[in-house]
Amino acid sequence: MGYTPEMQELIKRVEATRPARVEMARRGENYPALSLEERAVVLEKYHPDYQKEGRRPVKVGADKGLVLPDEVATMLESVSLVRPDKIDLSNVDFEADILILGAGGAGTSAALLASQAGASVILTTKLRHGDANTMMAEGGIQAATQECDSPFYHYLDTIGGGHFTNQPDLVAALSHDAPLSIAWLESLGMVFNKLPDGRMSVRHFGGSSRKRMHSSADMTGAEIMRVLRDEARNRKDKITILEFCPAVELLMDEEGKCAGALLYNMDTREFYIARAKAVIIATGGNGRLHIKGFATTNHYGATMDGVVMAYRAGVATTCLYSTQYHPTGVAYPEQNVGLLITEKVRGLGAHVLNIDGEQFCFPLEPRDVESAELIKEGVEKNKAVITPTGRLGLWLDSPMIDMLHGEGTVRKELPAKFIQFDRHGIDISKQPMLVYPTLHYQNGGVKIDADCQTTIPGLYSAGEVTGGLHGENRLMGNSLQDVITFGRRAGIAAAKYVSGCVQLKKLTLDHVVKFEKELADAGIDSPMIAPILLPDYATDEVSTKRHMEARSEAIQEAE
Amino acid sequence: MKISYYPGCTLKSKAKNLEEAAIASLAALGVEVEELPRWNCCGAVHSLADDDLIHYVAPVRDLVRAMQQGSQKLVTLCSMCYNTLARANLIMRDDEVKRKTINDFMTEEPDYHGEVEVVHFLNLIRDEVGWDKVREKVKAPLTGMKIAPYYGCTLLRPRSVAIEPPESQELFRDFLTALGATPVEFAGSSVCCGSYQILASPEASKDIAGKIIAWATKAGADALALSCPLCEFNLGKKQPELIETGRIPGAVPTYYFTQLLAIALGLGDDLHRLDLNTECSLELLKSKKCLTA
Amino acid sequence: MINERTCQCTTEPMQPMATGDRAILPKGAKTIPIYVMGKKYDVPETLTIMKAMEYAGFKFIRGAGCRGGICGACPTVYRKEGDYKLHFGLACQTVVEPNMYLAQIPFYPANRATYDIETIEPTAEAIYALYPELFRCVACNNCTKACPMGVQVLDYISALKQGDVAKAAQLSFDCIQCGLCASRCMGELPQYHIAQLARRLYGKYIQPRAEHLQKRVAEIEAGKYDKMLDDLTTMGKDQLEKLYKEREREPDMAPPGTWMPKDTQYL
Repeated sequence: MGYTPEMQELIKRVEATRPARVEMARRGENYPALSLEERAVVLEKYHPDYQKEGRRPVKVGADKGLVLPDEVATMLESVSLVRPDKIDLSNVDFEADILILGAGGAGTSAALLASQAGASVILTTKLRHGDANTMMAEGGIQAATQECDSPFYHYLDTIGGGHFTNQPDLVAALSHDAPLSIAWLESLGMVFNKLPDGRMSVRHFGGSSRKRMHSSADMTGAEIMRVLRDEARNRKDKITILEFCPAVELLMDEEGKCAGALLYNMDTREFYIARAKAVIIATGGNGRLHIKGFATTNHYGATMDGVVMAYRAGVATTCLYSTQYHPTGVAYPEQNVGLLITEKVRGLGAHVLNIDGEQFCFPLEPRDVESAELIKEGVEKNKAVITPTGRLGLWLDSPMIDMLHGEGTVRKELPAKFIQFDRHGIDISKQPMLVYPTLHYQNGGVKIDADCQTTIPGLYSAGEVTGGLHGENRLMGNSLQDVITFGRRAGIAAAKYVSGCVQLKKLTLDHVVKFEKELADAGIDSPMIAPILLPDYATDEVSTKRHMEARSEAIQEAE
Repeated sequence: MKISYYPGCTLKSKAKNLEEAAIASLAALGVEVEELPRWNCCGAVHSLADDDLIHYVAPVRDLVRAMQQGSQKLVTLCSMCYNTLARANLIMRDDEVKRKTINDFMTEEPDYHGEVEVVHFLNLIRDEVGWDKVREKVKAPLTGMKIAPYYGCTLLRPRSVAIEPPESQELFRDFLTALGATPVEFAGSSVCCGSYQILASPEASKDIAGKIIAWATKAGADALALSCPLCEFNLGKKQPELIETGRIPGAVPTYYFTQLLAIALGLGDDLHRLDLNTECSLELLKSKKCLTA
Repeated sequence: MINERTCQCTTEPMQPMATGDRAILPKGAKTIPIYVMGKKYDVPETLTIMKAMEYAGFKFIRGAGCRGGICGACPTVYRKEGDYKLHFGLACQTVVEPNMYLAQIPFYPANRATYDIETIEPTAEAIYALYPELFRCVACNNCTKACPMGVQVLDYISALKQGDVAKAAQLSFDCIQCGLCASRCMGELPQYHIAQLARRLYGKYIQPRAEHLQKRVAEIEAGKYDKMLDDLTTMGKDQLEKLYKEREREPDMAPPGTWMPKDTQYL
């Protein structure tokens, strides 16, 4: 396998310009970055978020009238999996102080902090504990821990990277807590990349003024998730973990407090009533909606469940119109298409190049700008490599890394990426990678305050499912920091809330009835049934042969 | 000729005093060995069942590592490791049927036919350095130290892998003599220390350990020289229990033979690691003025 | 939910293009037979096992996770025609081959010991106490042969027997906890749980602590940055933009901890 002969010819152009580029990098010189004004122009013209096509106003709910991508709007205008009046909510199956929906980085951090504060916790999740985008975050986690840095600069970099659209209290909370989160992870036994004296081996990233990226090889998220999960498993007395048991609807009490959730056992197809004094939504993002047909770096379960449930209960969203396209998704080989190539590759000095081996942008622009620059080079300038399956790709010159930092750096700093390409016959320490923007992150989501509280009493939310922290563009390493900082905050806030005297009244799904009536009034016919829980990748051919329309009702129910 | 060194798990954990003194001494004697970069537990016990081939896989894998390192010899210190490695090596060299089965099982490793020779540290010193040269290098002779050389069971059994003919028992004696000590012959030198009974019959194990120590002191020894972490456990670490139960009257010093070598060669405290031995062991050396520092 | 539209980003004449993650049979591409749990399906060559199974009509509940080779949800065993060998791989990373016989092993039971990270000793002995089965290892190496990440499993187990927790932590670092090692172990060890413990002991107790981090935590807890952050949250966009533009950038090649900016009032 590996590169085709035609592609290998093209690689020679990259190799031809490499010595001069490496020299330039050694002198500390970079391709000039764009000014704020220039950024605005390139975004407006090339970033998918700024295109009118494929977007429409949502017709119902708290954000009625807000223009969103079609796929997202459809999800917000969806109906429940259950007929609310046919569920007997008096038969409670699970009960705890706090119910946490989603067991990724945010949910698990929340569970640890809440249990530490004495609360009993049920941590319920759609797939396995830890199956989440957290696990897949490769590059690192931001925190201003160095002497030359401070939360002040973390704040500035973050809000500037988000084009000053971020929710200020959330950015302040993140910048403030980030070093505390790192110290917490260190105390739990997370293995960080460190210098021999224990100093964190920090790096730059797109949009950074200081080296603030802490990492654990190129498996930072996986290492965080492994450690958090392991710790949660040590606390069996306080934390009950339910796998393959996603929430499909929030439960309220008669006074309008959040009071639990309706869970769905994916194995047995049973529904469970879980009652809790507080609920934390930490269900992650929406990459698997494949907005505009883009490939995604996201986890199999990233289907926007939390936003759907919260929206139905009346919680507004923020920045949900904004989606992050990661500038460097794999464009070749086909098996890996869409997968993330961490920004760390560029942080380590690799240039982004066109078909002629020329640089055309500063490699560490904020992600949306960088993505727009790549799309511009490919679509407008026509300077991309066309892969055998007709995809566009631009070169990411990874062999520069060993030349700049010494032989073996690629293998040491990017072991997972090295293995992933090596499986397909490409040695990324010797050959460049082909990349193109890919759907990466749900920038917006459930609206919260700095204590992760939503507008509904007893309902908290943390992590990618929420919006506001990143504004319209997220910087690398702020998502892992988001899940830890706000996961911890949600756990603490919810535990504090339940330690007061929260009296739950009778459980209800009336909010669902009300929402579905609004849908009907808005004239939405055949709405989507959501949360969809998992994407459907059946081909048209298979779908046709399933003859759904021909099935008798009894069979449909057994499905 | 290249020589690989196989440490064994215990030497990296509980018996650092056996290893560190040995490595330092080899350097002082000018013998170059290279520790295996990758190695696994030898299995510690040689299986006698004829069809229990899986237990040969562990030692054979270590032998393959030595071959991969380009070595002709593999030296080891621990008696259990020596015995297990040497016996597995013989099977791979001489038993065509078992060799084929094991090689076929270990497809991820190159085929092995007994290319590497397994040698015990004492043989290596005798053959690569020689007793005369050792004597020359001794800076702090163990004069006045009456030491009983204890082989235990696995250095002399079976004959096919014995470090010398079992009936001769010269090797240890010559070694101690070269260091300036007085070897004390005694009846228990190749009696099992009780290890094999320690789980099934702990009392029997303590009985024999007590007897061995008593025989040595009765023969006039001040101390025992040991070669195996298991023997050290029974004859050294267990002494308080042996005393308490009246099996021996008082504490008797024990040393790994490599510590005695390091001391005689005048190597520093941090290398002979007497801090890991019983207190009386250190005191005896001090009283005989054998410690340079 | 997924818009079936041709990819907007190609300038080439149209050919069937995959959107999202749905597999297609590209024009002119061949199909090959594979056997999923013994049953034959014809799937496009070059697909991963996961996408090939989805192409064939499977919808995963178990056995799919990150789809990017890092979560360990999709371990798969397979045999090939005319080859006695058992092969191992992740379904999301392994490309289908003609006549491969495969089955997924999305879960394999393995016992995990509960412990208190705050009070446990960072020693191999502490690990032996929780996992005495460690000594049942016969060095058969089936674990290493089964590892889809190329982790030297036997070597890290050996390192622990040798008392070297740090070495075990480092050797096991790439482990994705898929459980294939445990599924193949003659000694019935739960290797990946043991490795997890070794790594946490290493991260917490053996790796040196980051002193600058402790210092920063103390500063934050003393409230040093509270006012600065309060000011920022109430600042207008113009002022923020000005500060943003004025930021000094730490030089790329300056090793961490060696550079200081000219403006130190916000540090």
